[in-house]
Amino acid sequence: MPGFKPLALPANVVYTYDGSFEGFLCCVFESVYSRELPLEILREEDAQPTLIQSRSVATDPVRAERVRASIRSKISERALELVTTAFCSCLAQKELRMLEFLLRGYREGAKLCFMMGDDVTATLLRAEKHLLGEAHLLKGFVRFADVGGALVATISPKNYALPFIARHFVLRYRQERFMIFDKTNGAALVYQDCKAEILRVERVELPEISESEAQYQALWKRFYDTVSIESRENPRCRMTHMPKRYWENMSEVCGLLRPKAE
Amino acid sequence: MDLMEKLTILTNGAKYDAACTSSGADRPGKTVAAGCCHAFSADGRCVTLLKVLLTNHCIFDCKYCVNRSSNDCRRTAFTPEELAGLTIEFYRRNYIEGLFLSSGVMRSPDYTMEQMIQALHLLRYRYDFWGYIHAKTIPGASPELVRRLGLLADRVSVNIELPSEESLRLLAPHKKREAILAPMKQICLAAGESRQEMAVYKKAPQFAPAGQATQMIIGASPDTDYQIIRLAAALYGKYALKRVFYSAYIPAVADSLLPALDFKPPLLREHRLYQADFLMRQYGFGAEEILSEDMPSLNPYLDPKCNWAVNHMQEFPVDVNAAALETLLRVPGIGPTSARRIVVARRHGRLGLAELKRMGVVLKRAQYFIRASDWPSGARFDKHTTVRALVDPNVFSFGTEQLSLFPGASSLRQLPEAGEARSVAEAVEETVLCLASNL
Repeated sequence: MPGFKPLALPANVVYTYDGSFEGFLCCVFESVYSRELPLEILREEDAQPTLIQSRSVATDPVRAERVRASIRSKISERALELVTTAFCSCLAQKELRMLEFLLRGYREGAKLCFMMGDDVTATLLRAEKHLLGEAHLLKGFVRFADVGGALVATISPKNYALPFIARHFVLRYRQERFMIFDKTNGAALVYQDCKAEILRVERVELPEISESEAQYQALWKRFYDTVSIESRENPRCRMTHMPKRYWENMSEVCGLLRPKAE
Repeated sequence: MDLMEKLTILTNGAKYDAACTSSGADRPGKTVAAGCCHAFSADGRCVTLLKVLLTNHCIFDCKYCVNRSSNDCRRTAFTPEELAGLTIEFYRRNYIEGLFLSSGVMRSPDYTMEQMIQALHLLRYRYDFWGYIHAKTIPGASPELVRRLGLLADRVSVNIELPSEESLRLLAPHKKREAILAPMKQICLAAGESRQEMAVYKKAPQFAPAGQATQMIIGASPDTDYQIIRLAAALYGKYALKRVFYSAYIPAVADSLLPALDFKPPLLREHRLYQADFLMRQYGFGAEEILSEDMPSLNPYLDPKCNWAVNHMQEFPVDVNAAALETLLRVPGIGPTSARRIVVARRHGRLGLAELKRMGVVLKRAQYFIRASDWPSGARFDKHTTVRALVDPNVFSFGTEQLSLFPGASSLRQLPEAGEARSVAEAVEETVLCLASNL
């Protein structure tokens, strides 16, 4: 960017951190104070031994809080929101893209968020849009099954969308007990006794569904098949609106994915 | 008859209704204010609501309808308990956002409305269901019943069915235009009053908080696109409708007054009408700007916005770094979102093509109509290039559809078969030449 001296210069180093948002904020701290823009920022479990020098950045709540406060005061509230959201997205090299955004933001201030045509901002905005779009679709595509009075659903989104749909489902099923299991990210939203929390869960064993549950699934499948008009059939249009990667968790269309081998 | 069979019959009767949106009701958690699609059926239409009839018994004999009294089909009805149970259980599993309740006319319009009100009342107050409810009023029902229905439902709609009184008299002899417009006016006034009361007293009863909608059938009668668009504009203006839905006529029953049973539904025409409708609602176009007496049909090759642009080349190019929001909205390739983004972003720096692309402007179409900081670099484009970029590639995927049944309404020749790559390419060339010479 002409007219601005960059805060950090490219350096031959890879940062590793513990995968938490606080950990990422500490990487920002590290980058600014050692005046270096790392080649890559990786989570510890993803890091592989290479010849490039790698530095493990420890998570320090005090430093994280300082970075958080500095984003608020030196850039804007919206920048913090954008970074927080982008952190949950599936953007490739998201940590590095976010760091680039913040380094520019510290120089240019609040207006960076409004420069929607700028490459660093546009990248994060696109990631945010992808995440929020997926969260919106999931509000419709989650399918619960009644298992002994509790509602259980499985999702496999690309982004870590669970925190963004939690509020909606908690408000909708305030009187119920439910769980949404996120297969991709190994997490589950559990709501019971008017309390919701997101837990780390690797696997969930579901019991067989009951007869009445099977009956409602059959009714729904019948409704879904009947409501379509044959002379307007348009599978391409259906796929545009309801991409196939959601189908495996939707009882009415999962049968279409694997046609029975005769 | 068991529930499965009833559901099948009553869904079959209701599926031709176009509206299946759930937007406009704001009860956090219970409904999504912006609307929420729960599935998409094989025809690509969204499934948001449990769309069923209360009954498919009908005393009316509307020629175009599957449920007409002279049609020999199985008849049944839901009991209010069955309907409520089904809705609650589907809603609980997140299959649906709520209920879309329509009905055939059983005994009399008033009797049918009472049945519907009873079912909705049970759902709202016994089962405590606060999801979305869209209810159709029955033409000819008394105003008091319409009022009670409006207090239970989020959206109320009256189907206008056919675009002109003439066609209505011919094809739906039991429905009178007054019987359709009177409740529409009543709903519009009552909803307005309710909004005023709620401003004073928060707990005042809400009357159809998500407004009203209507739908009409396209292609069953000889009405032109211009008449349809004008009617829609009048409905938006006069009765404050939220949406007008257009549904391509699908032959369900044979009748000498109707197109033959092997008639293909005019899907492309329906698509163009929706595009024109969006131009009126979100882009600030007037009906008279989209079509006129001399040009009564929408162009099948160009979408209405491109069509307007190529016919008004004197308004272009538009400078994206200076033009007002309303002017930006008229540029093909710039939609409401990107127009708003441009207005915000240009305060912080001049915009070039790369920035516009990143903001979501479709440069394929927009490049011929804009001036940016680094554009245009050279000479202006000729008309052929412009038109070629604008021809809707989807038009040929609609295949050999008949654009208009009635001679004189459209002078277009039949579209070539989809899949025949050569003939499609030829057709594009021919279209380009034809359109460019018209400019």
